[in-house]
Parts: sequence; C-alpha cells; structure tokens
Amino acid sequence: MTDTPATPAAGGLDDFTRKPDMPPPIATTGVIGWLRSNLFSTPFNTLLTIVSVYLIFLLFQGVYHWAFETAVWSANTRRECLDQTAYGACWAGVGYWFGSFVYGRYPSDSVWRVNLSWIIFALWMLPLWFPKVSFKPFIGLSAVLIYPFLAGYLYLGGERNWFMQIMVAVAILGFIICWLHVACCVFLNRSFGNLVVSLTGFAKQPERLHKFAILATALVGFAIVYASISGWQVALIGPNKWGGLFLTLVISGIGIASALPIGIIAALGRRSKMPVIRVVTTAYIELFRSVPLITVLFMATTMFPLFLPEGIVLNKLASAIVAVCLFSGAYMAETVRGGLQAIDKGQYEASAALGLGFWQTTALIIMPQALKLMIPNIVGSFIGLFKDTTLVAIIGLYDLLGMVKAVSHDPKWIGLHTEPLVAASLIYFIGCFAMSRYSQHLEKTLGQGDRR
Amino acid sequence: MAVIDSGSKRNDSLGFVNDQRFRSVFYQILVFGLVAWVGWSLFTNTSNNLAARGIATGLDFLSSTAGFSIAWSLLEYKPNDTYGWVYVVGLTNTLFVALISIVLTTILGFFVGILRLSKNWLVAVISSAYVEVLRNTPLLIQIYIWFLGVFSLLPRPKQSMYLFGMDFLPLNNRGFYVPKAIAGELFWLTTVAFIIAVAGVIWLNKWAVKKQERTGKHVPTLWYTLGLLFGLPLAVFLLSGSPLSWEIPVLKGFNFRGGTSVPPAMCALLIALVVYHSAFVGEMVRAGILSVSHGQTEAAYSLGVKPSWTMRLIIIPQAMRAIVPPLISLWMNVIKNSSLAIAIGYPDVVSVFMQTTLNQSGHAIEVVGMVMLFYMTCSLTISFCLNIYNRKIQLRER
Repeated sequence: MTDTPATPAAGGLDDFTRKPDMPPPIATTGVIGWLRSNLFSTPFNTLLTIVSVYLIFLLFQGVYHWAFETAVWSANTRRECLDQTAYGACWAGVGYWFGSFVYGRYPSDSVWRVNLSWIIFALWMLPLWFPKVSFKPFIGLSAVLIYPFLAGYLYLGGERNWFMQIMVAVAILGFIICWLHVACCVFLNRSFGNLVVSLTGFAKQPERLHKFAILATALVGFAIVYASISGWQVALIGPNKWGGLFLTLVISGIGIASALPIGIIAALGRRSKMPVIRVVTTAYIELFRSVPLITVLFMATTMFPLFLPEGIVLNKLASAIVAVCLFSGAYMAETVRGGLQAIDKGQYEASAALGLGFWQTTALIIMPQALKLMIPNIVGSFIGLFKDTTLVAIIGLYDLLGMVKAVSHDPKWIGLHTEPLVAASLIYFIGCFAMSRYSQHLEKTLGQGDRR
Repeated sequence: MAVIDSGSKRNDSLGFVNDQRFRSVFYQILVFGLVAWVGWSLFTNTSNNLAARGIATGLDFLSSTAGFSIAWSLLEYKPNDTYGWVYVVGLTNTLFVALISIVLTTILGFFVGILRLSKNWLVAVISSAYVEVLRNTPLLIQIYIWFLGVFSLLPRPKQSMYLFGMDFLPLNNRGFYVPKAIAGELFWLTTVAFIIAVAGVIWLNKWAVKKQERTGKHVPTLWYTLGLLFGLPLAVFLLSGSPLSWEIPVLKGFNFRGGTSVPPAMCALLIALVVYHSAFVGEMVRAGILSVSHGQTEAAYSLGVKPSWTMRLIIIPQAMRAIVPPLISLWMNVIKNSSLAIAIGYPDVVSVFMQTTLNQSGHAIEVVGMVMLFYMTCSLTISFCLNIYNRKIQLRER
C-alpha cells in the first residue's frame, strides 16, 4: 500500500522517495523467530517444550552421574570398583575385556590375522567409491565370491587341501589384479585388461583374441602366486576359539552375502509360472518366515546332526551359519519379491519385444530396477540380520553378546552385567546406524533419475 | 519365408529344446527330482541315525511325566504333569506375554508416531532419538539390560519399592505384585451387565452413523458410550452388593504372600518387547500419516472442516490403510520375538518345550516340529486376518 499515494502531497510526485523497507519484526527471524515457531508457538507447545527440557535434563543428569561422574575407569577387580563407588559404572571391567569383545578367545599373537583380513576387505571394497574406476560390479562380486576363501584361511589356518590351495591363490591374485586395475584406471585412464593387451602386443590382433591375452596373463599370475604361497602356512586355530565381534561379523557377513542370491532365486521361484517350482519356493519362504530365528537355530543344533550321513559332523558354528543363511534368505526373498511386484508390466513386454529371454530380461531389465527400489528394505534386512546374530549366544556360541555375558562369569569381574551390555549395544548401534544412514544416502544418489 | 509362425513345426530334430512348454516341464521335473532326492536322503539318514542312537520316534513321549518344575505359568502346572501339558502351558505363556505386548506396543507406538510428527522441534527430536536408539540395537541385548540392569538390581523384598506409593503394589527383585481379585457369588451379574453394555454401545454407534447418513444430523455419542460402558456395570455391581474382594500381597518372612505375582523375567520381557517394537510402530504410524497427500488436508479445510475433524475423519482413515498391514505383520514379529524369553528364563514354549523337554526326552524332530507348527499356525492365522482386512479396505476403483 505504500506506493499508492492517492492524493499528491504539497511537494508533488517528484518529491516522493521510497523509504527503505522496514526490517521484519524481530520475533519472526533469527533465533527468537525459530524458537517462537518451533518451541513456543502455542501454550500447549510451550508446556511440551518445558516438559521435554526437564526430561532431557533428568536423563542427561542420570547418565552423566552413572557413566562419568561416579564411574571407575581403572581397577583390577569388580571388588575394587565397588570399593570406590557404590553407584557408578565400572568401566574398568569393560576396558579389561575389550580385546575379548573384539576377538573373542582368538590367541593374541595371531590377532594380526583377523586385522589383516579386515584391512584386505576394506581395501578390496575401497575402489567402489573411486569415481574413475571401471568394472565396479566385478570388483564387488570378486570381493563377495573369492575374498571369503582368503579370509577363511586366515582365520582357520592349518594345512590347506588342494581346493583351498587353489582358492587362496585365486583370492590373492584377485586382490592384486583389482588394485593393479585401480592403479591403471586412476593413473593411465584405461582398464588393466586394455593395458595387458597393448603390452603383450595383441592390440593389433582382432578383438576376439584379446581375451586370450588377458587369460594367459592371469594364468601366469596365478602360477606365480600359487608357487610363492605354496610354502606359506599359519597355525591352526579352531572355530571354538573364534568369538566376539569377529565371530559376529563372520556369521552376519556370510548371512548377508548369501541372503541376496538365495533371496533372488527364491523370489523368482515364487513368481514363476511353473507350479512345482512355485510350491517348493513358497513352502521354503513361508516356513522360515513364520518361525522365530531361535527355533531355526535350535533345529540346526539338534536336527542337523540327525540329517547328515554318519561320519560327517557339522560343528556348532557351521550349523548356526547354515541356519542364519536359510533364515535370512527367506526374508530377503520377500523383500525382493516386493521390488519385483513394483515393476511395471510394460518393462517385461518391452524386453520381450526386444527379443530378450527370461534370464536376460531378469538380469538386465527387471532386477536392476527392482533392487534399486528395494535398497532401503534390503539394507533394513541386513541391519535386522546383524542384530539377529546375537541369538547365536543362546545356543552357546561366543559372539559379541556371548563374550559380554562371559564377563560376569569371570571370577575377577563376577556379576558385572550392565556396563558390558551397554558397551555392546553401543557397538551395535554404531554399526546399524551407519548402515541405515548409508542406505538413505544411497537411495538419494541412485534415485537421482526419478526426481525432477 | 521371412516370417516364422510361432505355431509352425520346426524341422530340425532338436527344436523341442526351444519349446517353452517342454522346458517348463523339464525344469519342474528337475526340481521335483532334486527335492525328492534331498528329502529321501534326509529321511534315510535320519532314520539310520535314530536307529544307531536307539531313539524311538513318535508322539508317545507326550504322555510321559515331565518331572521338572516351571517357574511361572498361566495354567495350573505340577512337576508330575505330562510333556503334552508342558507344551500347552508353554503355548499359553507365550501367547499371554505376546498378547499383552501387542496391545501395549500398539498404544505406545501410536503415541511415538504422533510425537514424531509434532510441530514442536524438541519433541520431534526426542522421539526420533528414541526410535533410532531402539531400532538400531539388538532386542536380545535390550532384554538383558532390562533384566540384568533393571529388574535384578531392585531391592530385596524387605526393602521393596511401592509403585505410585501404594503399599499394595510392591516391586522388588522377586517380581511385581498386584492384589488378586476374588469374585464373589453374584459377580457374574456384573460380567453380564458389561457384555450387555458393550453390545449396547456397538448398536448405539451404528444407529448414530445410520442416522447421520439418513438425515445429515450428527449425534454426539461419546458421553452415552462412556456412561453405558462404565455406568451400567458399576450400577449392577453396587446393586448386587459389591461381590468382589481383594487379596492383598503382604510381606511374610522373606517374601510376599498372597496377591498375583509377576516374576522379574516376565516384567523385563514385557517391557523390552513393548519398548522395542513401539519404535517400529512409531515409524509405521509416521509413514502412514505422511503418506496421505497434503491435498486431502487442504481440500478438507476449504470445505470448512475444522482441523480436529480433518485429522479424525479424513487423514486417519486413509492413513490406517497404510499403517494396518505392516502393523499386523509386526504383531507376528512380537509373537516370534517373545521366544527370546529363553535368554532370561521366562518359561515360554521354546524354553520349556524346545529346550528342557527336548534335552530330557531327546525327541528332537517331534519337539522342533511341534514348536514350529505352533508358530506357523499363529502366522497363518494372522495373515488370514490381514487378507480379510486388506480385502475390506481396498480402494474401490472403477
């Protein structure tokens, strides 16, 4: 309304100069405005804010008092802790046992093997985040398919039979090639295969011969690696010594890695038009989804020994892993099926029109879209599986929770329950929270094309 | 001919390999053969192993005496009861704790979901922290923390805490005690009155809805409903001479006698289940309410519907369509997760049957099969209900 002067003032229109805009009322901007609109907008809201502040204060005061103010950080036994404080937390016990929380009863002079396997895995996966690297699906697949043999040998040790001899060599070779490829991509802007072809002088040959050059190089590499590690051996450490976070990661890692393939196959089977396949996969999925994991684990420990032919003895860890894989596969199948159902029928028709067969349609058209849609749910299942592995503690394996429970049986720290449990839940929280945040990030980056 | 008719016969002798019908039959026979082979080898292995260990199969063991005691049971149980009765007692214990958890979880979860959508920043932050912390830590650890870190640290019976300062609600490390209601002779009249009141309320609300649909007039039923629901049974109760007495727990010696006791394991399990799953329900409720397009709210406002009615009549009914299916499968999860009771010694079906009975009798296959059958029955029942509900609320599209 300011610029509609109905009656010109004495000075005429020429004298009109617009005044600068008034600043917005102080109560609607800045900190005060934010506070007003978010915390004190109505009397009821103000009341809520005051109650919340009071609750937060009580919570923080209690936690601070217990976990920091009166806590004991160094002591040799629980008795000493109790002498120093009647109420506070006894973190000394957690500190004393922390190594065992991570590695279980793994001999401390061999712990480097576990650390090495984790470092190799991290290095193997790292290139997936490099923008310039090509053939990323192969790097990821190789990490999932051949890394476990190397890690398995590092954990278990002992003599290798011919199969493990080969697979360990393949795994080491795969790791080396992966990083050679990464180096090529980053510094030379070409793939490792391309480099091999030009170095061996095959570049002038027709393209169909190129793969032979790469294959020959790989074979030579394999021979070198095989020969150089054939004498290498580490001491045998049986699975009964495995424990702690390390064991949790072994079980949930195998579970996660096998859940997706099992789930995809079962989901495809359930949607198949062939009645026998549909019935078999549906029965599998429904059976495992309708019973709790603990009953599956009990089934594994009590019934697997009966199922197997005489002479074959499955240790407890192996049966637990099989149970976890079957269980997580069934859940993943339903997740994948949800994704498949969301795919438009036109996609199938279009790929049929292009002349693609069932497997081509599934692998190239349907699955990429379905899996992308389902990323939050897939990661959700992974988080669920990671949390569910705590149940193996009930059947007597010493995973992270099993080790935490073992603290209270240690004569020196007898009865120390709460602090180790809190520490363990903190570890789980960090792992699960990071996974869920990463999935949200992934959803955003991969969903870029759907947003306009 | 450039056009190949799909119906025409191929000339080459291997043409049938590319025939989809042939392939389908072939794959099915393959899978069937594989499953049959695995099943057969499992069966032969198992019977060989059982024969080698001298274990007889069959359900005869169910009628032999169990001989162990059960810490707490809803049904009457004595150590000289049979294994079959142990199964039933375990089932009822599981269902009891699961049903209470389901009801409380749903209520608390709706509350959490509404708080997460609060316009008050602080409330939203607190509730989202609540959800994240609970969802991202294993339930088993939470159960242990409630059991070992809370209920086991309570004072001994002599120094009992009293809930809300009431001396008939003692809470100590032996559990939680509530007065036991003992029904007098004429108490059945009150029960009947209550049933009549419920039926009356249902009829009244249906009538009110019908009347509104016919005449467009809104009939306020809230006060009538409350009056009928509480007033009628109360009046009958008082008229029939208050036929209800209370057995109050009293400290005698080292422990409380009388009243109904709830063991610490059950308290811990209940609270852990309710708190853990409420975080999931909260997320479902939030997602459900957010899934209703904002246009619905705007349309309601532009029609002059007031905000509280908009929420109740427009938003919530549509949100329920997104909330209920996952909510029902969460209820199934509550039943399944109640099996973690075994970790802290609450005698549920897994604990008393799958562990104790199995270890004593050695009938692995029968016991595991029976427990799985129970959970599958629950699951099938729940998914049956879910299907009915889904059919009922599905959008009627043209």
